[in-house]
Amino acid sequence: MDDFLDNLAGDLAPVRRRSPRLEILALAALCALELSLFLAAGLARPNLAAALGLPVFWWKLISLGTLALLGFATALRSFAPEVSPRRGLQLMAMAVVLALGAGWLFDAAMDGGGDLAARLDWRDGLHCVGFVVGLSAPPVALLAALMRRAAATHAPGSSLAIGAGAAAWAAFVFVFACPHDDPLYVAVWYGFSCGLTLFLVRLLLPRLARW
Amino acid sequence: MADSEWAELMMAAQAGDSVRYRRLLGELHIWLKRYFSRRLPPAIVEDAVQDTLIAIHDKRHTFDPGRPFGPWLGAIARYKWIDRLRALKRMATEPLGEDIATQDHGAAVISATILNQLLAELKPAQAECIRLVKIHGYSVEETSRRTGQSISLVKINIHRGLARLTLAVQNQAYADG
Repeated sequence: MDDFLDNLAGDLAPVRRRSPRLEILALAALCALELSLFLAAGLARPNLAAALGLPVFWWKLISLGTLALLGFATALRSFAPEVSPRRGLQLMAMAVVLALGAGWLFDAAMDGGGDLAARLDWRDGLHCVGFVVGLSAPPVALLAALMRRAAATHAPGSSLAIGAGAAAWAAFVFVFACPHDDPLYVAVWYGFSCGLTLFLVRLLLPRLARW
Repeated sequence: MADSEWAELMMAAQAGDSVRYRRLLGELHIWLKRYFSRRLPPAIVEDAVQDTLIAIHDKRHTFDPGRPFGPWLGAIARYKWIDRLRALKRMATEPLGEDIATQDHGAAVISATILNQLLAELKPAQAECIRLVKIHGYSVEETSRRTGQSISLVKINIHRGLARLTLAVQNQAYADG
């Protein structure tokens, strides 16, 4: 064993400490770039100016932005071996319940009855799923790389936080393109898209981030 | 030794001070041995300790001097402990009845004995690399980490060791006529 310890000590080289601040900066830069490219590509809804005056539009932005921030913060914190993501995930679950509750209130205020099939426009819904899964890929890739370099000891929880944060961010970006302001549509299709992203990330990431 | 002293030693290690790092590794070895002895079967304690020390070595950049050292160390040890428990579960053994027919392992035992004699003729570093890579199936990178030799040195040791083994076998064949 002494030889083994001598070898490890002999292999020592100075290391640059992990810097959560740099990681936050990198993630913020990536998200800003993604949003800018999305808008520069002309994907924003044509009536965006009018939509900015709708409370539902802000409900979508604020709910998803909050979830994305909570998810990213939970994930980055959990990359330290001694930090568990459990508390952050509980907060996120509470935020989801609050967001859905607020959406239900908006729906009730808008008297959102009517044909269910028309409200849940499945063609646009599938479009939403494709965008959310695709837009979540860059933050997932960056966070996965950061997770591999760090020493996350709660890989399933960290993966959930990464998946939820990235999915919420992708949905946040997609809000600028989505022509639907019906809370039921948002709850169903955004919920399904985020759930699918979360499922895929939770399935794949723990295997990739083993150390 | 106090948590703060270990933290100081790890900070020195992060800066590249190998003497203080060696001291820290010695302390951690004792701590980890005690930790795993209470949680794992005796046969795999030493392996778990080595694995955890390698993980600490690889992940030393994640220690934040602004935080206590104990929880950082404990979290890594616990992670490796859970890894070991999973591996134990995968390799769960079942008791065999006395009446199960088994093949004669005489040839295998003789081969293993001859192989050990041949490996004993090599330099210890060469024999260790060949054992780990060619017999136990470790990758060159894993062997490099386990032995502390660089990857290129591991490859050279395997190559030269095998060449010497071939020569030894040929000489033995000539001697046997």
